[in-house]
Formats: sequence, C-alpha cells, structure tokens
Amino acid sequence: MFRQGKTYILILFFLTIWSGNICSQTTSSPYSIFGVGYLESNSMGPSKGMGGTGIAFLSDIAINPMNPASYSGIDSLVSIFEVGIFGKYTSFATKTDNQSVVNANLKYVVMGFRINPWLATSFGFLPYSSVGYTINAKTPIEGTALSYIETFSGSGGVNQVYLGGSVKIFKNLSVGINAAYLFGNITRSESSDDFGYYLKDITYISNFDVNYGLNYRFNINKWRYNLGFIYGRARDLRTESETTIQTGTGTETVSGQTYGYSIPQNAGAGFSLRKGFFRLGIDYEWSNWQDVEFTNVYFKTRNSNRISVGFELPSMGVRKGTNKMIFFRFGGEYRQSYLLINNYPVDCRLLTFGAGLPLKGSLSTINVSLEVGQVGTTSNGLIRESFVSLHLDMSLRDLWFMKKRFN
Amino acid sequence: MKGISEGKEKKQILSFAGICLIIPIIFVTLSVSIVSCSKSYEFTMGNDFIDSQTRLQVIDTFRVDLKTILLDSITTSSTNHLLIGDYKDTIFGSVKCESYFDLAFQDFSELDLKAEYDSAAIVMVYSGYSYGDTTSQMSVSIHMLNENIEPYNSGYLYNNTVFDYSPEVTGSISFYPSINSIDTSVAIPVNSLGEDLFNRIMEKDESISSSDLFYEYLKGFKVTATSSGNKAVIGFKADKDNLFLRLYYHINSEVLEKKTLTVTMGPESHQFNNISYDFRDTPLEGIEAGGNEISSFRSGNKGYMQGLTSLLSKIQFPTLQDVLAVRRWKILRAELVITPARGSYDDFPLPKILHIYDTDKENRVNSVLKDSQGNPLTATFEFDGSYGENTRYTYEITNFINNELADAYFDYDHGLLIGLEQERFRSSLDRLLIEGRNPPVKLRLYFLTY
Repeated sequence: MFRQGKTYILILFFLTIWSGNICSQTTSSPYSIFGVGYLESNSMGPSKGMGGTGIAFLSDIAINPMNPASYSGIDSLVSIFEVGIFGKYTSFATKTDNQSVVNANLKYVVMGFRINPWLATSFGFLPYSSVGYTINAKTPIEGTALSYIETFSGSGGVNQVYLGGSVKIFKNLSVGINAAYLFGNITRSESSDDFGYYLKDITYISNFDVNYGLNYRFNINKWRYNLGFIYGRARDLRTESETTIQTGTGTETVSGQTYGYSIPQNAGAGFSLRKGFFRLGIDYEWSNWQDVEFTNVYFKTRNSNRISVGFELPSMGVRKGTNKMIFFRFGGEYRQSYLLINNYPVDCRLLTFGAGLPLKGSLSTINVSLEVGQVGTTSNGLIRESFVSLHLDMSLRDLWFMKKRFN
Repeated sequence: MKGISEGKEKKQILSFAGICLIIPIIFVTLSVSIVSCSKSYEFTMGNDFIDSQTRLQVIDTFRVDLKTILLDSITTSSTNHLLIGDYKDTIFGSVKCESYFDLAFQDFSELDLKAEYDSAAIVMVYSGYSYGDTTSQMSVSIHMLNENIEPYNSGYLYNNTVFDYSPEVTGSISFYPSINSIDTSVAIPVNSLGEDLFNRIMEKDESISSSDLFYEYLKGFKVTATSSGNKAVIGFKADKDNLFLRLYYHINSEVLEKKTLTVTMGPESHQFNNISYDFRDTPLEGIEAGGNEISSFRSGNKGYMQGLTSLLSKIQFPTLQDVLAVRRWKILRAELVITPARGSYDDFPLPKILHIYDTDKENRVNSVLKDSQGNPLTATFEFDGSYGENTRYTYEITNFINNELADAYFDYDHGLLIGLEQERFRSSLDRLLIEGRNPPVKLRLYFLTY
C-alpha cells in the first residue's frame, strides 16, 4: 500500500505541475487590473467548504496554512500531502453587457508532518495573487475625431513558497510561524494592431513575508473550544520592471515605470467549537490597506474586513464513526474589497457547500467544495462577477516517513 | 499468516481503486484547463479601469517647405510615345514637343518590273494621349535629318537632345485630332521622298543595299507642329506596327494590281521627344534647369509638377528635428498630405498615380520610395466631387521619417520629390499644381508617447 500510495502521489504531482505549465492563467477578471491582482485566499481543503473559515481550526485532517499554529494538530503518525485544483465559471455583467469565462488550474501543493512531540512543520506552494485580463478599449486619437482599438492585457501573479513551524508551548497552547518567499511577475501590455505597437511592462516581484499564529484550546463539558489569532506585518514588495516597446522600427527596452506593490498589515481572530464529528468555526480578519499606496488614479483603498462562518456534519447511519464516513460542510463569507473604484466598493459574498469523501482503504480524503458567489455590482459603472467554483482538494495522508524509519 | 496476506492484498486493490478515482478527475480538470486556455479572455468591459501609459496623438504642426525644381534633363527615348504640338498657359508657361525617329533598314527585295509608283505617306497612329484643347486644327510637318540619330553613351536620348535637320519640309498635313478614336491614324504625304526611295529600289541602287548606306541616305525624321496655335499636344504610338513609311504602287498587267511597301520605324532607342519650354510670365520665371529651386512663397504659394518638362515639387521638413527633444516617443505612422490647388484641375485631369523620390542638396532624383512590399510607394488619392475641399493625395512615409530620425539627427537637405511614376514622367505632360498655403502641405505624425 505504501508503495502504491507513493506512486500515485508522484503521478498526481507531475500531472498537476504539468497542468500548471500549460496554462498559468488562474484568474480572468477586469478587476485584476488593480494592484497585484486578484488576491487568493490561504484557505484550503475542508475550510474551502466552510466559507473559507479556518483561523481557529487545527491541521488535524488537512493542512491549514491560514494559521501556522494549526500545524501542531497534525497527528504524530501521519504525513499529509495536499494538492488542490479548481475550476471556475464566471459571468460578468455590466448594465449593458454580459460575458462569461471558464478557468481551471492547479491551486496549491502543500505538505505537513510532525517532527517530534512538540514541533510540527508544513511547507508548500500557494498562490498569493493573480492577474488575468484583456480589455479592448476604444481610445481617441488626440488631435482628430478618430478613435482606435487599444488592447490592454495583464497576466501573471505572485506565488508563495512557505516553510512553517508550530510549537506546542503548553498542552493547550501552540504558536506558529510561516516564513514565505513571495515571487512572481506581472506582465501588463498595451497594444494596437492598427498602429503596430506593443508596449510591455514586466514587473518582477519578490520578498520575504512572515506570518504569526496562535491557537488556544480548552474543553467545557464535552465541547472542545479553539481560539485562533493570526498576524502579519505590512511589507513592501521588491519590484523590478522591464519595459519594452515594439513598433515597426524594432524593439526597444526602456527604463520602466516602476509599480510599487505592498502587502498590508493583517490580523485575524477565529473561534471554533467541536463535539464529536460536528465542527463550527467563525473567522474575522482585518487588513490595513489604507496605508498602502497605489499609483492608479481610478481607485482608492480602504481597510478591508472579512467575516466567515462554516460548519461540518458527519453523515449519519452505519458509516458514522467509521473511516467510510462522509463529512458535509456549509459556509458563508463576506469579504469587503480593499478597492474603492470610482469611490464604490466591489465586495465579495459567497456561499459554500462541501463534502469530505474518504478514499477507500486509506486515510486519505478528497474534499470537494462548491463556491457560489458574487463580486461587485452593476451600478455605478462597475462590473458584477457571478461565479461558481469547484475546488478539488486531495488530502493524502500516509505513513511515508514512519515506514522509512522502521525499515 | 494466511489472514494477514489476504488483508494486504485487499488493501492494494483498494488503493488501486483510489488511483482509478483520481486519475479521471485529473484528466477532466486538465482538459477543462486546456480548453479554457485556448480561449483568450477578451473583455468588452472594464474600459473605465484602464490607466493608459500611452498617448496617441496626431501632430501636423511640423512645418513643411514646398519648392519647385526643374531637372537638367530626363530621358525620353524608348518610351513608345511620339508627341507633337505645343501649348501655352499662364501657369505652366509654354511647352513644345517635337519628335525624332528613323526607319528600319530592310532587305528591299526586287519589285516587279512593271511596278509603278503612286504615292507615299508617313503613318502615325493615335495613342489616345493629349494635352490641352484637342478641338483645334493642327498642322504637322516632317523634316529630314542631316545627321544620324545616335543615343549617348548612357544608351538614351534626352528631352533636350536635338539633331540637325533640313529646313525643307518633306511633308505636311493639317487635321482635326480625333484622339478618342483609337487606332485611327494620320498619314503625312511624303510623295517626293517616296518616289525617290521607290526609284532607288527599282534601280537596285547601292544606297539601299546595306544598313550603313541606307542610314547614310535616310538619316531620320523630325516631326513638329507648325501652327497649332499653342493649343494642344497630341500623342501617337511609336513602335514598329504603328509608325511607318508606306509606299503605294501598282502593277500594270491585265488587271490593275494595287500594292504597298512598308518601311517600319527604326530602333526604339532612336525615337525620342524633344521638349522645349518657356516659363516667362509665369510664377516660375527664372527657374533654371538643374539649378536653383523656387520656393512656393515666390511662386504664388504653389508647388509645380509636370512630366516631360521635368518639374518636380520638393518637400522638406525644417522643424522635424524638434521632435528629438521629446522624451519617449515613437512615430507610428507618418503621412504626407498634398492638396491640389483648387481650380487647377478643371481642364487638366489630376494624375492618378503619384510616386515620391528621395533627393538631396543637389536636387538629384536618387531613388523612388518603396512600400513594405518593395513596390514604389504610391499616394492614396481621394477625390471630393462636391467642393473639392477634400481632394488630396496622401503618402505614407513612415519608414522615411523613422529612418531619418533613427540616428537622432534630421537632415534638412534630405528631401522628397513629388513626381509621376517614372514611365509617365518621361512620356506625358501630366501636371499637378500643389497648394502651398491654404491648406499647406501637411506632415501628419501619429505620435505615441509612453
């Protein structure tokens, strides 16, 4: 079994990497034109099915990088390997227009295990943000009554590789830290076929980022309570731009307009309770975007708040309590945008439904989550995005390292 | 023991079932992602979010100098066009076209002993080309040359080339041109010349026995208009089938048998048009061939262009250098817009095809500008039938401008010449009067800053 497990994990790994190479575009949205693009959430696995709730959850059945202190919940006998892929259908609407887009890609690859009774670790690859848009705009030619079609497009994004550790200080208290290296590039271009020019700006982005977490647990009667706290400092990202302009006379590299990008100060608190196989969690997160400055004149920033609630139920009947038991998950999230476009917010509301399906004969689970939500509105000249996404998370739990040790 | 091994086997099968579940899921999502990638996400919305780095504007405020130059000479041989006539007006002055050609030597085979000479004519077939008022009567005379037509070392003869001719008129005719009936012809009677040639053939005279001796005898002809009243220039075809000397004779036997003998035009390189012009009493008075240039300020704010008189309009860009002071720009397109002077094309049709040539300080015609396909660059012609305000020619000279600016220096002396396509330039009197002030010649730059 162990050998089989390894084989399919490897197959899975290469397939997903391959799919990632085929298509690096993970977002399609006109809103991704702003800043570093669409901000991805750190939630994965079971949390995805619970409205992205996870600050107070431990990494017991799946890794939860939202709170680095959660790693201490990893069972001492298993290692967890988690791969996430997603497919998203988005419908865009303005007052007068309608469009839809489908995206699908690899989302994350993470791993976690316990090193010794008081220290657990996790590392992996996660997206931080993504950019994807092509907008054909009618642009006037100054000095004439004419206009032409100018194509604006953007692609790329910021990824993170992290290494995290969680230490159990007391029986009830663990603290954690995630050290991440953020890297990526965002390519923005402006071009016209009619006039034969192509201005391309690639901004290479990198920096280290550190996030802290705390988890405190206590029991009252048969209820287990968890409190989670997270914090991250504001940080400027290192950027380096390369601008090229291509016209009929050739390609020329020019000193680029430097875009400044930053990560805001971020703090969050979560609460969860559990009895038997029932679990419920509430998250609140706050990001200080107001202090982050952008160059785009069309938007302003504000501090953003995120609230989410989610719960998990086991399937009843003969399967309850066995390793054939299915978990059902429900949740909702309200995420204020940090963007104010023409002074109007583009907030996100979503509902989630999920299921944790055990893989026969192993400790592994497949977590399927469906997200249904909306971003923005059609009024005030904005765009409303209505989306349905399907997340597939393969949480493969195995005894890899243990086996080696015993051999 | 048995039980354990059975259990192990069972587990392996179950885990295999796991693979069977995962692999299809992966492939489904993969195929979705491939499909979605092949689409390009072009949004028709989101225009308001754009913070453009580029700015495209049309700038047509760079000054354009318009001048007129007169070439020293142009080649007019081997054009297959024979032009006769003269024309005068107060804009382009007077022009006179005379044409030279010779006859081809042939083996003058023995004619029947009973052949008797009737008459002879030089036959010219209309080409359909005309310049001026073709309704007036035209008188044309033909003279014999005193010297042979010999091209220069270049292989060409020029619009200012002359050969000595006999003042005696060999033949003449007066006629009303019928240029629109193609393939009709004008026959100039040359009876005494014909009779002389006929007799030499009958007598097997030595002078027609070889090419050298034949050209010693018949050196060539010059055709010229005698009294057209300066009204028109008429074009004829100049090739072996359409320009010839024809002898008419008959043979007296039982029935009268009428016969002809045709002596065709000589080598095409020996046929050319001599053009004489006079710009007195016009704004161009004082212009020298191959010499000075006349600024449009001194010629009624007009630029002149005409084919065989070899007038060309010169275009220069005195302030384009200023563009180099701007930071981060590209010229995406450069258009040269030329407006014909209003009223100047009521009687003379505007040239359909205009080319543009590279020139220098010495006003040499260096090379024709080419388009991206390598063909000569042609001006786009727009005709505004109602008021004529939008009648104009537009050249796309992006490459010329960008190449000139490439070394961060704009050479004012590197100018452009507006002219006809080469063949038309040396075989017609097509003309264009370019407006120099209202509106001026414009250089329209599609200017991108970023």
